Amino acid sequence: MSKIGVFVCHCGTNIANTVDVERAVASARELPGVAFASEYKYMCSEPGQQMIKDAIEEYGLDRVVIASCSPRMHETTFRKMLKDTKVNPYMLEIANIREQCSWVHTDKAKATEKAIRLIRMSVAKAARDEPLFASSIPIEKRALVIGGGIAGIQAALDIADAGHEVALLEREPSIGGKMAMLDKTFPTLDCSACISTPKMVDAGAHPNIKLLTSCEVVKTEGYIGNFQVTIRRNARYVNHDICTGCGLCETKCPVKTDSEFNHGLSKRPAIYKLFPQAVPSKPVIDKNSCLKLTKGKCGVCEKVCPLGCIDYADEDREFTETFGAIVFATGYELIDWTALYGEYGGGRYPDMLTGLQFERLVNASGPTEGHIVRPSDGKEPKTVAIVKCVGSRDPKKGKSYCSRACCMYAAKHAHQILDKLPGTRVFIFYIDVRTPGKGYEEFYDQTRKDGAIYVRGRISKIYKDGDKLVCNGEDTLLGKQVKVMADMVVLETAMTPSSGIEELATMFGVARDVNDWIQEAHPKLRPVETQVGGVFLAGTCQGPRDIPDTVAHASAAAAKVVSLLNKSEMETSPMISVVRREHCCGCGACEKICPYTAITLEEIDDRVGAKRVKRPIASVNSGLCQGCGACTAACRTGAIDLLGFRNAQILEEVDALCL
Amino acid sequence: MNDNLAKMREAAKRALESGDVGYVIGWGATKFPDKTSPLFMRKPEDAERLVWNEYAIPGIAKYLLDDLYPDKPIGVFVRGCDSRAINRMMKDNRIKRENLRLLGIPCDGKDDERCTICRNRNPLVYDELLWDEAPTPEPKDRYFRANAVEAMSADGRYAYWSEVFDQCIRCYACRNICPACNCKECYVDMTATGFQGKQHSRSDNLIFGVTRAFHVGDRCIECGECERVCPMGLPIMGQTQKILKDINELVGDYESGVDAESENYLGVFDLDDKDEFM
Repeated sequence: MSKIGVFVCHCGTNIANTVDVERAVASARELPGVAFASEYKYMCSEPGQQMIKDAIEEYGLDRVVIASCSPRMHETTFRKMLKDTKVNPYMLEIANIREQCSWVHTDKAKATEKAIRLIRMSVAKAARDEPLFASSIPIEKRALVIGGGIAGIQAALDIADAGHEVALLEREPSIGGKMAMLDKTFPTLDCSACISTPKMVDAGAHPNIKLLTSCEVVKTEGYIGNFQVTIRRNARYVNHDICTGCGLCETKCPVKTDSEFNHGLSKRPAIYKLFPQAVPSKPVIDKNSCLKLTKGKCGVCEKVCPLGCIDYADEDREFTETFGAIVFATGYELIDWTALYGEYGGGRYPDMLTGLQFERLVNASGPTEGHIVRPSDGKEPKTVAIVKCVGSRDPKKGKSYCSRACCMYAAKHAHQILDKLPGTRVFIFYIDVRTPGKGYEEFYDQTRKDGAIYVRGRISKIYKDGDKLVCNGEDTLLGKQVKVMADMVVLETAMTPSSGIEELATMFGVARDVNDWIQEAHPKLRPVETQVGGVFLAGTCQGPRDIPDTVAHASAAAAKVVSLLNKSEMETSPMISVVRREHCCGCGACEKICPYTAITLEEIDDRVGAKRVKRPIASVNSGLCQGCGACTAACRTGAIDLLGFRNAQILEEVDALCL
Repeated sequence: MNDNLAKMREAAKRALESGDVGYVIGWGATKFPDKTSPLFMRKPEDAERLVWNEYAIPGIAKYLLDDLYPDKPIGVFVRGCDSRAINRMMKDNRIKRENLRLLGIPCDGKDDERCTICRNRNPLVYDELLWDEAPTPEPKDRYFRANAVEAMSADGRYAYWSEVFDQCIRCYACRNICPACNCKECYVDMTATGFQGKQHSRSDNLIFGVTRAFHVGDRCIECGECERVCPMGLPIMGQTQKILKDINELVGDYESGVDAESENYLGVFDLDDKDEFM
């Protein structure tokens, strides 16, 4: 008979307020196989853990059930604790009576009853627990950072400075991301380019950093410590090994197409650098607008290039590299407001800009060299309306979340307009003003003192009247309708995850939240990890944030990567699938269903009657298996079983609940 | 004697005489004029016992599973349904194409309700075709059983299936004939599954019924043999029809066993899988 110890945690009052802990303990004592049951205020604390250890010693327990929070929270803590005892760390079951009981119920009697049942299930499963032993795998000491914005650059620099190799992957032809587009940054108004371009140069020149620009992730296999990532380098048509970046080709190219970097506010040639300070500072050809590549004629750049770098026959190339850790730093995009806000003109009026377009307009290296003028007629605006929360905090039309940075950059935009065009009237339409950050409230105050007029209320309609943009809305503080005849409107639109994040997240098996931001492993305690081992998060791919938070987040992710890569090998979970060969008929259902390609069919020698035959059976790669259990559900004969979650154990739980 | 039977006897005889095949599976007469049974022809003269008439209904492909490692290829007459059964078992890695000698016989439809939903009278895989293919007539309602059950209320469905499975005698004839039930060892034969009792009770019968349906699931070739062999005449096609109906309605045209390569819809993990429910 097993000797099970049951330990029920109060979690302060988190559990004890809703569950009668003492009753739960008393009922646990009656369960078959339970040799000891007790409770404590904080089971995860040092005295709580000591209590469990003492009980194991005193009562000779051979398996442990802890009724507490989710195993996601403290299963590892308690496993670590069991390492110092006679009990195998995998002879542990966690009954989740917090997230799945006390937090979601109010009726104490019923919640207690449920907690008792949950404990009963765990005890039944624990009776069938078997000792498991971890093995170890080597770690490839290289990291891949996906996304070359400020988050990716910061993470790459920190990892590289710690002495590990980093590949910094960016799908655009240059690193820099959104920060390179910005003009000044709140609240200190230091120039964005002046602080980000030196970091870009550092990243480009760092001996441990390899830049993979114009590259995209195509496929990934493997697991923490050993990701085999297939990367596609999109054709550049320029040989960067020889190119010096002299820029002659750009000046001669006859094509003029919309500049992505300036958000359509200016034109660029077909052979181009994303922006003058691009890293690498070498041009690429845009195959969609190049005359030679689309129509077969022109070829001017090839003629003018003094070094013969132009190669129209260049093709996309795929290559596979191994990395020990992955950092997602894929950033954000602005929501497409034109599709959502027909009442704002749906993008028909050229003098309505998004926040990022305004950043380019006001930027000294932008299309107007920093002069704030209307894109339609080049005149300076006399009245500017800034509309916040366009797509944010608007569940009916856009996103329900707050995009966090807009309040501050709206204030900054107002400040810049008032600074460059004194006497301009600036109206800011807002729902709330949120300024939680060092120096943020002071900056907002200063903007109001500078003369920005804050109007609390949403804009209901924007339409054109002559050369004015008429903004209708309500001042909810006055309770009156307001109408602003603006010359220019700036929409502070919502941040949304970058395009392509769905494919990338699915490839790595990383979860996304309802808004497609990448889900962190724990919102408070593991904010830079994902549920997939070895995949970390930096910056806005996890959710909207401003630059200081992004940089801090990226450095935190780098610290996690460094602590992983500093080890030469790591333990793997022994909770993986095993095949009972005699039952396996080799149908391959498990092979096809496995999301980690951990199962293959192998031929074995067998005997059927008097005959020696070869027949296929499933075989599990212990390094690749993540213990998801999909195969055990797919197997009709029950030939495949998940250690730690054997079919028999789950049945015991079901029986304990239902019988 | 019809021409087609003559061609079949000739083909079986030729195959056996050449020594290329160990034996040939077809249909033979029984003491009942309206029934046929599987016939295993080992000698050329056995071909004379071959029967081909409107009663040659039984599926014969499943017998291949009894001889997985034959010394010589096995000859089998294949109609549309038999060929889909063979594709099914090949896809499930149970039988090998090189062990088969398939004599294709386009079917003219039999006197059976289950043949009215047939979508492939002509064999889909064969080595030689004994006579010309003819188009398959427009099939009747593919989900005739499932539709009838779907129309009931939830309680009505429970009462319906309870009544059906209260009659089940757990002879497993449905499993024995089903080409999708091709596991090395079926879970119902294991002694300690923990969830399937051997006793004849409503709960254990229902568990068997629902487990059979899900194990066959998307791999059902819609031959209807499970119903034909059921000694209690239970309408169990309704279960697999429902699964196929759901798949067809959710993701578009899906049919199992039309070739030996296509994946089983529920059996693959794909990045493009629909996951709106998550």
